[in-house]
Order: sequence, then structure tokens, then C-alpha cells
Amino acid sequence: MIEQIVKRDGRRAPFEIEKIANAIFGAAQASGGQDYEMARGLADQVEKLLEKTAGDQIPTVEQIQDTVEKVLIESGHARTAKKYILYRNERTRVREMNTRLMKVYEDLTFQSSLENDVKRENANIDGDTAMGTMLKYGSEGAKQFYEMFILDPEHARAHREGDIHIHDLDFLTLTTTCCQIDLLKLFSGGFSTGHGFLREPNDIRSYAALACIAIQSNQNDQHGGQSVPNFDYSMAPGVRKTFRKLFRDNLAKALEVFGADDNNEVDAKTLTERIERETGKWACLAGGNGYDEAMAAALGETLDEQTVQKCLRFARKYADKETRKATYQAMEALVHNLNTMHSRAGAQIPFSSLNYGTDTSPEGRLAIEQLLLATEAGLGNGETPIFPIHIFKVKEGVNYNEGDPNYDLFKLACRVSAKRMFPNFSFLDAPFNKQYYKPGHPETECAYMGCRTRVIGNRYDPTREIVSGRGNLSFTSINLPRIAIRSHGDIDWFFEDLDRKIDLVIDQLLARFRIQSAKKVRNYPFLMGEGVWIDSDKLGPDDTVGEVLKHGTLTMGFIGLAETLKALIGKHHGESDEAQNLGLEIVSHMRERMDQAGEKYGLNFSLIATPAEGLSGRFVKIDRQRFGVIEGVTDRDYYTNSFHVPVYYPIGAFEKIAREAPYHEMTNGGHISYIELDGDPTQNLEAFEAVVRAMKEAGIGYGAINHPIDRDPVCGYTGIIGETCPRCGRREGEGVPLSKLQKLGLYKHLNSTTLGYHGDPAEEADRQPNTLQIVKD
Amino acid sequence: MQQDQLIGEGVGFERIRRITGYLVGTLDRFNNAKRAEEHDRVKHDVSCCSLEEEHTA
Ligand SMILES: [Zn+2]
Repeated sequence: MIEQIVKRDGRRAPFEIEKIANAIFGAAQASGGQDYEMARGLADQVEKLLEKTAGDQIPTVEQIQDTVEKVLIESGHARTAKKYILYRNERTRVREMNTRLMKVYEDLTFQSSLENDVKRENANIDGDTAMGTMLKYGSEGAKQFYEMFILDPEHARAHREGDIHIHDLDFLTLTTTCCQIDLLKLFSGGFSTGHGFLREPNDIRSYAALACIAIQSNQNDQHGGQSVPNFDYSMAPGVRKTFRKLFRDNLAKALEVFGADDNNEVDAKTLTERIERETGKWACLAGGNGYDEAMAAALGETLDEQTVQKCLRFARKYADKETRKATYQAMEALVHNLNTMHSRAGAQIPFSSLNYGTDTSPEGRLAIEQLLLATEAGLGNGETPIFPIHIFKVKEGVNYNEGDPNYDLFKLACRVSAKRMFPNFSFLDAPFNKQYYKPGHPETECAYMGCRTRVIGNRYDPTREIVSGRGNLSFTSINLPRIAIRSHGDIDWFFEDLDRKIDLVIDQLLARFRIQSAKKVRNYPFLMGEGVWIDSDKLGPDDTVGEVLKHGTLTMGFIGLAETLKALIGKHHGESDEAQNLGLEIVSHMRERMDQAGEKYGLNFSLIATPAEGLSGRFVKIDRQRFGVIEGVTDRDYYTNSFHVPVYYPIGAFEKIAREAPYHEMTNGGHISYIELDGDPTQNLEAFEAVVRAMKEAGIGYGAINHPIDRDPVCGYTGIIGETCPRCGRREGEGVPLSKLQKLGLYKHLNSTTLGYHGDPAEEADRQPNTLQIVKD
Repeated sequence: MQQDQLIGEGVGFERIRRITGYLVGTLDRFNNAKRAEEHDRVKHDVSCCSLEEEHTA
């Protein structure tokens, strides 16, 4: 008589024969059986056999299950046995996954991010904070849940084993990647954040502040980044409103000072209203629209000519000066906000990107100029802003050549980028971008998500090939080097297997899209509820979003073209023309397959040069375990980013640009090329600009220049710091005598919170918070 | 106020680098693979002479 059993965790529990009978009956039912008495009889046999085999020992759960299998098979219940074994295996897998998940949780809980790579998977989430860790618990738990219960087992296996990588898997059932926000449409008439209604903004400060709030609110509805595709055009009306108001205010001041006694009742406000009504114009930055003349005539009704001119000169001079200042402060506050505001339960700064450079109106130009200047100045203590990502849109006839209306801003963009690594540069004249460009329609100017995602073409609705209100839905990357390793140099086999992986990715993207499509507007209170996503304003809260999501992109990515070529023919595309030709063949094949899928399903399938932060180490780790260390393929801790020439390979800047440019045209879902510059590029702006121009001429779509930016928080020096700081002379970790800092004029207060450099006191005094009119509804 | 007091002991330098499009404040928030990648990066020469040499490669 068995009385006790040993559970998996080592504890003892009473032996219950009914549990065995129930398990057998369950397996029998699954194969069509109905006879509980027979199950009970089999359970009795199990107990008898156990008594024989276990002897004096208390049987374990595993022993009992082995015995059940044995009894079922030997008594001729083969089908029931098979079901029982399947069920048992499934339970084992779930248990192992639970154990694995608990191990992940344990490491997240008790290891710092220095020790734990999972916590550093995304460099912009601080894995050491409470909210950052909570986010990782959720994310890791969600991934395992989807793997067990949601994903097609074939997709789950391919992801688990590293044939493909399903990006943002933790959000599989929740939302889509990113969106390009049309701020002007959003601002028109005001909008609601879910916590209060915001009126249509009335000056540049509130335009900038609301831009931040829109980015933050939308970020909470999606798992990727947020981009403003035409930031200059979006801010220009704010500048216009600010100038109009400041012109009126300063006219009032001028009348107060210069007007005669009996002119005091002349109210600048009434006059302004009258002239605006009569001319249909506002006072504007550039002047010359007839407003000033009409105002002069009206003032002339009561004032002499000389006083009239004096008042107008005064109003214009100070309106101009104060508008510039207000715009600078608005842009400074925006940069500051985008570096400090948090989203997603406080653990992450919104991934924000601003595209600009082509608005040639005086107001748009002022916004661009002041944003660049604020970025150049840096944050409060001169730190380099991490966000937003700036993308300067380069366009012939607009800002590329001497004589173009925004050429000065292009030069300024180069100068700021040489100091702060932003802006990056996008090229609207690249043929694949130019094909969408319609002058006078900023929504047809190709924009980029900072990380590189590109959404403009539209197979689903070719009449809407625009950037605004659209974004990526999800993307999945292929482990190209593995296919190459497994091909053993057989190029035909490589392409055959690549096609099989592409089929799998298409299938998986469609499966995810079906889940996304079933969501409702109310699942995305801002993105859909406020009509940010294209056509979502035509839907009600309980409508599903599937149809409007079709404007988004379903995207396949790839990693490690360089290692792939090494594995296939022994050379990568930076070192051999043969490899380059094969590389182009591979990538253009992937693009063709995406075009075909788009044709077949009527959806926007696209190919992206994967931005592989979390992925660069994962694939190579698995592949090294499976295939060993292969020189030039698995011998480093990362696979090279997308189509890039390997970072370790010495190559001239112009040659690198020429090698990578052709891939930009093929990767319609997004791309970027980097050049690493040596030294401090602010000392060599010609070289910096030459690289940008070379990118444009080579047909690159989106490029950026990397250079080291170091900063000493003690003295505030920003530039390149080797062993010692060029300004205060200290080494890392060393102290500097207080007297020395005071001599350099860099030290204000003596306590720990105000240690070190504190910026320019005069500028600090000018800073103003963004005030918002929030009306509770 | 003591004039010989030392300021900034134990304070490191900040080194800002770019990974996959985003700037990151210090290298220790990079994951291991990206750290290795950043470590391996070589600079790209912009002078014309080196350009010609590259073409012969
Ligand atoms: Zn210093």
C-alpha cells in the first residue's frame, strides 16, 4: 500500500489513486475513450506495479508517470499511451519554461545591469530602476506566454533557434511599431491626452510644448519611436502667431511712449483687429505684405507721419527681437523636455525624431535656426542632448547649393552635427525619395524615423503616398549568415533556403497583422482615438483598426550581409567587387520577394536594413555554439549591422559611401549609412560637409557621421578627452582644486548637488518653463 | 571657504556614442555585443590620397 509520493520540489504529499485514474481517463478521452472504470482499473495496476518496483522507497512523480506509460503500453492501450506521453511532454515544456522564466526574473531582481545583459538589451531603458525592472518582468513574461500559447509553433521555433528574429515580440498582441505624426492636423481645434483637453496652441512656446506632449502620448500607444516628418512646417504657424501678438504688444508700448496725449485712447488692439479685417493679413516677420502700410495709414489718421514711422519701427524692431528669443526658448525647452520626459511607466524617454530643413518661409526658417542653435548649446550644463534625433532634409534648390534659400541652414546643420552628432542627413534627391516629392506638399517629402525606418510608398492606396499618419506595423529579421554557413558555399542552395526563410517571415508578419487588425480604436486612445493614424478619425471607439492599419508597413529585415559574404565566398563587400555583386544580388532578391508579397496581399511589404541593437549579439552567439568559431563569420561578438561594411575594416569614407549607397535604393523600409570621423570635426567643417555631399551624390537616402563626444562634468568641457581634460587638466576620477575652477570662472556653489559647471548664468535667467493651458473636461 | 579643496573626486568623464541611430550617454548602458562592436570601430579617412589607395584594394 503506497501512502506518500515525492513531488518535483522534493516535498511529500499523500498518494491519491484518483489522480492517476483521472490522468489516464483524460488521455483516453482525448483519443475517444469513455470508460472511467477501465481507467480506474489501470490505475490499480499502476499502484501494484509501483509497490513492486519501488520497494521501501517513496515513489517520485516521475516514477509514477513512467509506470503509467508502461502499464498503458503493456495492456494494449497504445493510443491512450501516446496521448498521455504527449500531454506529459507538453507539461514538462511548460514547467521548464516557467522555471526558465523564474530564473530570468531572479536575475532581473538580484543582478545589476552591469552583470545582466538582458537589462541592457535596450540602451535607452534604465534596467536598474524600479520601473525599468517592472518593464522587463512584463516583457520577459509576455514573450514566453506568446511563445507557448499565441505564436504558430513553427514561427516560435524559428525565433527560438535564431533562424529569424521577431522584433518587439513582447508587444506581439498589443500594438504596432511607430508613427509619423502630423502635428498641424492634431493641433487644429485642440486635442485630448486622456488626462485633459489642450486648446489649439497660440504661440511658439505652446506649439513646442504640445509637440512634446503629442510625442509622449503617442509613444504610450506604440512600442517603437515617434517621428515628426515636417517639424519646420509644424512650428511655423506658432512663430507667425507669436510675431503677430508681439507686434501688437510693442505697437501699444510705442503709442504709450510716442503718441500724443489725445492718442492714448487709441487702442493697439482695436487698431490691429481693424487692419487685420481690412487687409486680411497679419503683421509678419518678413513684412512686405501690405499690413505695415495699412497700419501706417490708420495711425496717420491721428498722428503725424514722423511719429507713425517711429511707432512702426519700434514695433517691428522689438517684435522681431522678441520673436527670435521666444522661438529660441521654445526650442530649448523642447529639447530639454524630450530629454527628460518619460513614457511607459517612467522607465523610458520617448524615442523622438524631428525631420526638417525644407520650409523656406521666414517663420519655418526661424524655427529651424533656433532649434539648431539650442541643440548646439546643449542641455543645462552643456551636455549633449540624446533626444530628439534630428534629421535634416537635404534638397537641391532648397538648401543644398549656394544661393538656395535655406543653404545657410544646411551649413548650420553641418556645424551643429559636427559638435553634437545630430542632425543626421536625409536626401530627398535620391531617386527613390524624389519619386514621391511634390513641391508645395511637405507630406510628400520622405521622412525617416530616427533609427532609420522609412514609410512613404503605399501599395494599399497609391493615392496616399505620403508620410503623415503612417508608420511601421512590425518587423522580423532573417539570420543571413546562418543560411550562408549552412550552404557550405553552394550559392543555389543559399538562395533556396533564403526563399524558405522569406516565406516563413511573410507568413509570420501576416499572422501578427491579423492579431493587430482585430484591435479596436479604444485600445489606442491617442494614436487612433485622437486621429493621429491616417483615417482613424473616420472610426468610432469600438471599430476595429484593421483597414486603416493597411496604410502601414509589414517589414522584413536582415543582419550580417558582410558575414554572409565571408561565409559564401571568403570576402565581404568592402574588400571585393565579386562580393559586392553577390551582396547586391542577395539584397535585391529579398526586395523582389517583398514586392511580390505586397502584390499578392495588397499590403505594404517592405525591406529594412535592420537596426539591430538587441539582435547583433543574439544570432552570433547561437551560431557560434552550433557551428563553432568561423573566421570572419562567427569570430566576433556581433554580426555586422545590415548591409554595412564591417566596422573593423579599414576603408576610406568615400569608398564606404560608394559601397553602401546601392543598398539604400533596395531597402525601401529603411536604411542608414555611418561614417566614423577621427578627431574633432568642428575643427574641420569642410571635411564634414564633404562627407555629407558625397552621401548625397552617391544616392544615399539617409546618413550620419559619428565622432567621439566626451564631456567632463566637473568643468563642463565638451569635445574629445583623452587621458586628461584639456580645460581643467584633471584625469578621470581626479579632483581639481577649487581655486583652479574659480580661476576658470566655472564654479558657483559649494555643495554636492551643484558640483561643477553650471552653464551661463545670464542664459539661465532667461529660461522659461513651457506653460500650458489645460482645461479639464 | 577653503581654497585648496578638491572638486570632482570620483567623477568620471562622460563618453557619448551612437548605436543603431540613438545616442547613448555612457558606454556601460550598451549591451555586450554593442560594446564589442563599438570597441572594434575604425575611423574612415576623408583625404583624397587614401581614397585612391582604397580603389586599388
Ligand atoms: Zn575638465
